[in-house]
Amino acid sequence: MMKKIKYLIMSLVAVLLVNCNDAIDIRQVGLLDPVNAFRTVDDLEAGLFGLYSRNGGIPNTFGFDITPEIALSSNFCDEISIGAGTGGQGFALYDFVLNPTSAASSNFWIRNLSQNNRATVLLEAAQVIEVDPADQARFNQLLGEIHTIRAYANFELLNMYSVDVRNDASLGIPVVDFVPPLTFQPLRNTVGEGWDYINSDIAAAEGLLGPATSTDRISIDVVRALKARTLATRGQYGEALTLANNLLASYPIADRTAHRDMFLDNSDEGIIFKLQRVRNGPFDRQGATGSVNAGGWPGAVYTFADILSDSYFEMDRKVFNMLDPNDVRFDINVSPASTIDPNYMTNPNSFATDKIIPAKYPGSENQPLMNDLKVFRSAEMLLIAAEARVGANNDLAGAAQLIKQLRDARFGSSQPLPVYNSAQEAYGAILDERRVEFLFEGHRYRDLKRLGVAGNRGIDRDLTDCNRQSGACTLAANDFRFTLPIPLSEINANPAIGEQQNPGY
Amino acid sequence: MKLKLTWLLTLFMAFVMQLSFGQEKDITGTVTAASDGLPLPGVNVIVKGTARGTQTDFDGKYSIKAKAGDILVFSFVSMKTTEKTVGAASVIDLSMADDVASLDEVVITGYSTTTKTKSSVSSVRVSSETIENRPNASFVQTLSGQVPGLNITTSTGQPGGNSLVQLRGVGSINGNTEPLFIIDGAPVDEDNFRSLNPQEIASIDVLKDAGATAIYGNRGANGVIVIKTRQGSYNQGLKVNYNGFVSYSAIQGNDYNLMNSQQLLTYERDKGRGAGAGATANKGFRPVRDFLTPGFPAIPENQVPMTDAEIAAAPNFDWFDYFFRTAVTQNHTVSLSSGGENSTQFTSIGFSDTQGILVQSNLTRFNVRSNVTGKSSNDKFNYGLNLSMNYSKSDEPNNIGSGAVNRNYVLGSLLSFPYNTPDQFGIAKPGVIAAPSVVDTPFFLIDRLQEFTRFEEEVKIVASVNANYKFTDYLSANVVASMDYQNEVLTFGQFPNSINAQIFGGNNERITQDTDRVFTYNQVTSLNYNDTFGKHTINLGAYTEYFKAHRRFFGFLSRGLNVLTFAPGDGAGFIDDGPNDDIFVDDVFATKRDAGLFSYFGSLDYDYDSKYGFAATVRRDASYRFADSNRWATFWSVAGRWNISNEAFMDGSVFNNLKLRASYGTAGNQDITGAGPFSAFAETLDLFTTDTGYISNQAIFLEQVGNRDLKWETIAQLNIGVDFGVWNNRLRGSVDYYKRNTTDLFQSINLSATTGFTQQFANIGELENRGVDFQLDYDIFRANQPGDFSMSVGVVGNYNVNELIDLPVDELPGTGRVGGPLGEYFLIRYVGVNPANGNLLYLDANDNVTETPTTDDQVWTGKNILPDWNGGVTFNLDYKGFFLTTQWNYVLGVDRFDSDYAGFVDVDNTGSFQLSADILREWTQPGDITDIPSPTAFNRNSFTAIDDNFLYSGDYLRLRFASFGYNFNQDILEGTGFTKARVFFNAENAITFTKWRGFDVETRDNGGAEYPTPATFSVGLELGF
Repeated sequence: MMKKIKYLIMSLVAVLLVNCNDAIDIRQVGLLDPVNAFRTVDDLEAGLFGLYSRNGGIPNTFGFDITPEIALSSNFCDEISIGAGTGGQGFALYDFVLNPTSAASSNFWIRNLSQNNRATVLLEAAQVIEVDPADQARFNQLLGEIHTIRAYANFELLNMYSVDVRNDASLGIPVVDFVPPLTFQPLRNTVGEGWDYINSDIAAAEGLLGPATSTDRISIDVVRALKARTLATRGQYGEALTLANNLLASYPIADRTAHRDMFLDNSDEGIIFKLQRVRNGPFDRQGATGSVNAGGWPGAVYTFADILSDSYFEMDRKVFNMLDPNDVRFDINVSPASTIDPNYMTNPNSFATDKIIPAKYPGSENQPLMNDLKVFRSAEMLLIAAEARVGANNDLAGAAQLIKQLRDARFGSSQPLPVYNSAQEAYGAILDERRVEFLFEGHRYRDLKRLGVAGNRGIDRDLTDCNRQSGACTLAANDFRFTLPIPLSEINANPAIGEQQNPGY
Repeated sequence: MKLKLTWLLTLFMAFVMQLSFGQEKDITGTVTAASDGLPLPGVNVIVKGTARGTQTDFDGKYSIKAKAGDILVFSFVSMKTTEKTVGAASVIDLSMADDVASLDEVVITGYSTTTKTKSSVSSVRVSSETIENRPNASFVQTLSGQVPGLNITTSTGQPGGNSLVQLRGVGSINGNTEPLFIIDGAPVDEDNFRSLNPQEIASIDVLKDAGATAIYGNRGANGVIVIKTRQGSYNQGLKVNYNGFVSYSAIQGNDYNLMNSQQLLTYERDKGRGAGAGATANKGFRPVRDFLTPGFPAIPENQVPMTDAEIAAAPNFDWFDYFFRTAVTQNHTVSLSSGGENSTQFTSIGFSDTQGILVQSNLTRFNVRSNVTGKSSNDKFNYGLNLSMNYSKSDEPNNIGSGAVNRNYVLGSLLSFPYNTPDQFGIAKPGVIAAPSVVDTPFFLIDRLQEFTRFEEEVKIVASVNANYKFTDYLSANVVASMDYQNEVLTFGQFPNSINAQIFGGNNERITQDTDRVFTYNQVTSLNYNDTFGKHTINLGAYTEYFKAHRRFFGFLSRGLNVLTFAPGDGAGFIDDGPNDDIFVDDVFATKRDAGLFSYFGSLDYDYDSKYGFAATVRRDASYRFADSNRWATFWSVAGRWNISNEAFMDGSVFNNLKLRASYGTAGNQDITGAGPFSAFAETLDLFTTDTGYISNQAIFLEQVGNRDLKWETIAQLNIGVDFGVWNNRLRGSVDYYKRNTTDLFQSINLSATTGFTQQFANIGELENRGVDFQLDYDIFRANQPGDFSMSVGVVGNYNVNELIDLPVDELPGTGRVGGPLGEYFLIRYVGVNPANGNLLYLDANDNVTETPTTDDQVWTGKNILPDWNGGVTFNLDYKGFFLTTQWNYVLGVDRFDSDYAGFVDVDNTGSFQLSADILREWTQPGDITDIPSPTAFNRNSFTAIDDNFLYSGDYLRLRFASFGYNFNQDILEGTGFTKARVFFNAENAITFTKWRGFDVETRDNGGAEYPTPATFSVGLELGF
C-alpha cells in the first residue's frame, strides 16, 4: 500500500508540476530591439543605407526609387504604346483608367509616406547618439542626406496629390514630421504647410551637407538641385534660375559620347545625382513588370528580358517621329532590334512590322535592363533655367538660346536657334524638348502637370498606337487625372480623409 | 472488475494460463446463431490457454483436439463470447447469442475511448476499408466525401500534394483553419502526409463538436482527426498480408473549345498579329546581337501574311499531350502481424511510385512501420510503441499556377500555338540569347524540361510511446510521448545552358540545396479515475500537455555552374565569384526557430444507466506566441446526452437506437497566421533588422511595430445532434446542427500610410459558421448468409452558412462585409455585349446599364469560393464475393473565376497565345448579338479583375470513387495456403458533371494554369496467408 501511495504521489507531481517554462518563454534568436539599433554614427549610416534601399522581406520598405515615376510617366502619358511582346501589361493605365484602386494611386502615397516615416525614425534616433567631435562632419552629412530624402518624398507626395501646388491655401498632404502611433489618422494639411515642411528639410540639409564626393550619394549639390526643381514647380522662377545656373556651372552638359556612356553607366558626366543599382543589390530584380509598382530594373518597366526582344511597351510612334537619327538621343532611346515601317499608318500589319523597342535601360554589370537611375541631371537644370527665364523675365530669346545649347550638344553640331513668339510657345517648346531629353526618365507626368496648360500641351499619342487599343489618344493637362487619387487603402483606414478626396474620383 | 470491456478485451482476458490434464480427443460440433438458428461460419474456436484454434466452416461445423477439462472458447464478431468445458461428450454444439454490448462501436472522445452509446459528442469514424487500396498518395484526399462536415479540397495534381481540410466551414480568416491530426497519439504536421502510407491506417475518427475537441484546447479549435494504425492481436498466429495495385492517371478533359492551327492562323492574319500575319518572332529564336552597338539601319522586316495554302498546311500539335502524360503508379505493401501472451507486433513495409500527370512530377516513397504492444502478466501495466519511418522523393516543378511562361509547364499546355511543334526547338536552341518573347512559351518550357530540376527528399519519422499503469481497478496513470521528425532536403537547379540562365544573365544558372529539419515533441501525462457504483459510472481525468518544436533550416544558392562537371547535388561544377563582377555571388541562408505550448486540463464524464450522460472539460493553455501579451487562456466545454431508446417506454418501438446530444464549449486557435508553429513568433515586439542595403552596404531597417494586445482566437461551438437506428439498424444515421463562432479573429486592420505602415494584424472581428451535418445509411437488402445479395445506399452531407459578424470596417473587399460570407466577391456586374457597338455593358450600383462604370459600381455579389453544400453519396453491392462500391461527391455553392478561359477569349492575346474558337463569335457589326465583345471595344480591359465576367459556378457532381472486385471464398482458397484473396478494379474521378469548363472543377483557386487532379484507374490484388 505504501508503495502504491508513493507511486501515486510521484505521478501527481509528474502530472501537475512539470516545468513548463521552456515551452512558453521562448526568445527567438536574431532579433534586433530598438534600444540596440542605433547607438553609434555607424549605426546611423547603416540606417541611412536602409532608407535608400528597398527590402522585399519587410512590408512598406521601398527605399529611394524612381521607377514608379518612370512607369507612370511612360504608361499614362505619351511615351509608350502597347508593344508586340504584350502580355496585357499596363492596359488600364494606358486607357487613362486611374482610380483609388490603381497601383499609381497607392504607390506614390504609401511609398512616400513610408519614406517620410523611416526618415523621421532615423532623425529621432540620431538625437540620442553621442557623437565624437571627430565624427561630427560625417554625422552631419548623414543627417543632411536623411533630410533630403524626406524632402524628396514629401515633394513628390505634394506634387502628385495636390491639384494646384501654386495655391498655398488649397488642400495638400498630411504633414507628419514625427513618428505617430499606429492609430494616427490625420487629415490633409494645406499646400502651404506642405511646402513649409519640405523647405524646412531642404534648409536643414543645406546646412548639414558637404560637397559632392560621388554622384550616388546626396551632397549639397543634390539638395540644391531638388530645391531648383521644387522652386520651378512652385513657380518661384527667380530663385530657381539662380540655383539652376549655379549648378550648370559645376555640372556642364556632356558631349555625345559621354552622354551615351552615361546611359550605359560608364560615365557620370552630366549627372548631379543618380541612384546606384548594383548586381545582387536590393533593386537587382525584375520588379512588377509593366506596373507603376515597378521597384526593380528600370528596363523591366518596358520589356521582359532585354532590349533586343519584343517588348510589352514600345516607344510611342509620335515621340519616335520627333527623334532625329542624327541626335544622340535617338541612339540612346531606340533599340537596334527595332523595326521601322514607314507605312505604319496605312499598313494593317503595323503592329508586327513597326516595333520601336525602348533602349534607355540596356543594362549594366552584365545584367540586362538594370541601370542606375538618373535623378538629377545637368540637362534638367538647363531646362529649368530655360523655363525660369520665361517665367521670371519673359526672356524668350534666352530660353531659345538654352534649347539650342542643349541640342548642339546632343547633335554634336550647331543647330538652328529657335524663335518663340510668346511665353506659351516657349513653354510648349520646352515641354517638347523635355519629352525627348527625359524620355523614359519619369518626368513627363509632372512636366505636363506643371507646364502643360501654360505650354498648350497635353498627352498626345500617335493615333495608330492608341486607336489600336481603346482610342485613348489625348488628354488635356488640366484633366483631373493629373492629380492622383488618395488610395482606397488610406480611406479604409482613415475614413475622414475620404471626404478630402481629389476632384473627379 | 467493473469496467465495461469490449469484446476484444474480453477475449484477451480469457487467455489466462491454466494447467490441464487428460487425453486429447477430437471434439466436433455445429455453431448456430441463437436469433435465427442458421449456421455460423467463421466462428473462432480456441482451446483456452493454448494457441490451438480453428474456425467453423461454411456450415457452422468445426473440429478440434481437446482433453476433458479443457475449456473451448467460441468467439465471433457481434456475438457473446461463450466458454464450454469439455466433458465426456465429443460433440459440443452451441447456439451463440447476439452480444448487444459489443454491437456498440468503440469511439474516441478526447483522450479516452468509450462506446458509441455512452458518447456525448459528435464524431464520425472512417474505417480502413474505405481508405485502403486508393491511389491517392495522401490519405487525406481519400477522406473526401466520407465524413459529413469535412470538406477536403485538393487543388493540385502533384502526387502527395497538400489538400485543404476544413471541418464545418472556414473558422478563421488568417489563422489556421485545418483540424489537428493525431497519429497514434502524436500530433503531426497537417500539411504533409506525402511520406505516410495510407495502407497502414486502421481507423480515422473525426471529432467535430466542442464536447470532443475542447480537450485538445490549443490546437483543436478546427476539429481533431485521430488516426490509429494497425496493430497485432494478443495470442494470434503470424498473419501476412500483401496489397498491391497499379494505377493509370490522365488529365481530365476541358471544354475550352480551343482553336486548331488553321482557325488560329486565319484569325491572326485577320487581326494583323502573330505568325498568321507574318510575324517572325515565333519561328524560332533570333541570332545573338550586340545590343550595345550604337546606331543601326532601321530596316523593316519583310512580313508577308500567310497564304491560305500555307495556313492549310500548318501542322496541328497537341501540347496537352506534350506537357501532360498518362501517369503510372505502383504501390505495394506487405504487413506481418502476430501476438503472444504479453506482446503483439505489427510490421509493415511499403513501397510506392506515383507518377504525376504533369511532366517532371513524381513521388517515390518507402515506408517501414513497427507497432508493438506489451503488458505485464498481471495486466496492470500496458505499453505500446508506434514507430513509422518514411522516406520519400518528390519531384515537384515549381511556379505552377503562376503566369511565368518560361517556368510554368501548365502554361505550356494551355498557351502554346498548335502550329508550333517541338521539332522547332532543335533549330531554335543554338542562338538562344536574343529576342525571346511570350510566343516562345513552349520552347522555354521544353528547354526547362532538360535544364531544370527540383526535387525534395524527405525523411519523416513519427513515433509515439504510450504507457499505462493501473494502481487499482479505478485509478491509473498514463503517459503518451510522441515525436514527429521531418527532414526535408530540397535540390533545385537551373542549369547553365538553360534559356532562363541565358536571358536573365549569368546568375540565373544556379542551384539551391537546403535542409529543413523540424522536430516536435508532445507529451500528455494524466491520472485517470474510473468507477461504477450501482447505475452510475464516473470518469475523471487530470492532464498536462507539453509541446515543443524546433526548426533548423539551412542551405545555399550557388550561382555559376560549370557545365562539364556540374550535377545536381554535387559541388564539383561550382564557379566562384570573380574579381571583376558580381555575377556569381553565392547565397547562404539559415533559420533557427523554437516554439512551444503548455497546458493543464481536467475532464469529467458521467453516465447513468446508459441513459443519461454528462461530460465537462476545462483547460488552461499557454502559447509562446503571446509571451509578452496574453499568454494564458482558459477553454471549457459541457456536453450531455439522453439515450431515449434505452428508456422503458421505448420498448417495442421501431427504434433500436435513438440518442439526443448537446454540447457547448470553447477552444483556442493560437496558430493565428495559419503557417504552423514557427510563424508569428515575434508579433508583440518592435523590431529592427539588418540586411543588405544601398550599394550593397550593410543596413538597418525598421521591421515592425509590435502588437502588445495579441491573444488567442477563440472558437465557441454549439452542437445539437441526434443519432438513430430503426428497423434493426437497417436505416441508421445522425443529424447535427452546429453553430461555431470565432471571435478575436487575427486579421489585418488598415493603418493610415502616414504611420509608415498600411496594415497591422490584430485580434478583431467575429466569424460564424452554422449548418447541419447529416449521415444516413440504408440497407436495401441485407445478407442473411455470407455470399447473399446485399445492397446499401448512404449519403453524407453538410450545409454550411458562413457569415462575417464583425470586421474592422463594415466592408472589406477581399475579406467580405458584415452580414455576408467570407471572401464574398465585390464586383462590377457584367451584363453582356452592346449589340450597337460591341462594347461591354455593365450595371452600375443603381442597376442602370452603363459602358463606363466606376469602382463605386462594385456590388456585393453574395458569391464566394466556399461551398454551401458538400458531401457524398455511396452505393454498395455484394454478391457471392463480388462487390461494387461507388462514391459520388457533390459540391454546391462554389463560384470561381476562370482566368484561363478569360485569356482564351482575349483578343489582345492574338499572336501571343492560343485562343478559344469562341472568340470567332466576336462582335463585328451593329446588330450582332453575341457574348464576345468587339475586338476594339474601348472598355474591354478597363475592369478586368473587378467585374464578374468570367466568374462561373464551380458546382459539381463527381464519381469520386468506384471499385469493383471479387473476394475469393474460403472453399476456393482451401489448400492454397492463402487465407484471403481479393482482386479489384478502382476508378477515381472517372465522371464529373459540371458547368465548369476547365480541367478540374475541384481546384479552390481563382488564379489559372494550376495543376489539375487527374482521373485514375487502378487494378489491384490483396492476399493474406
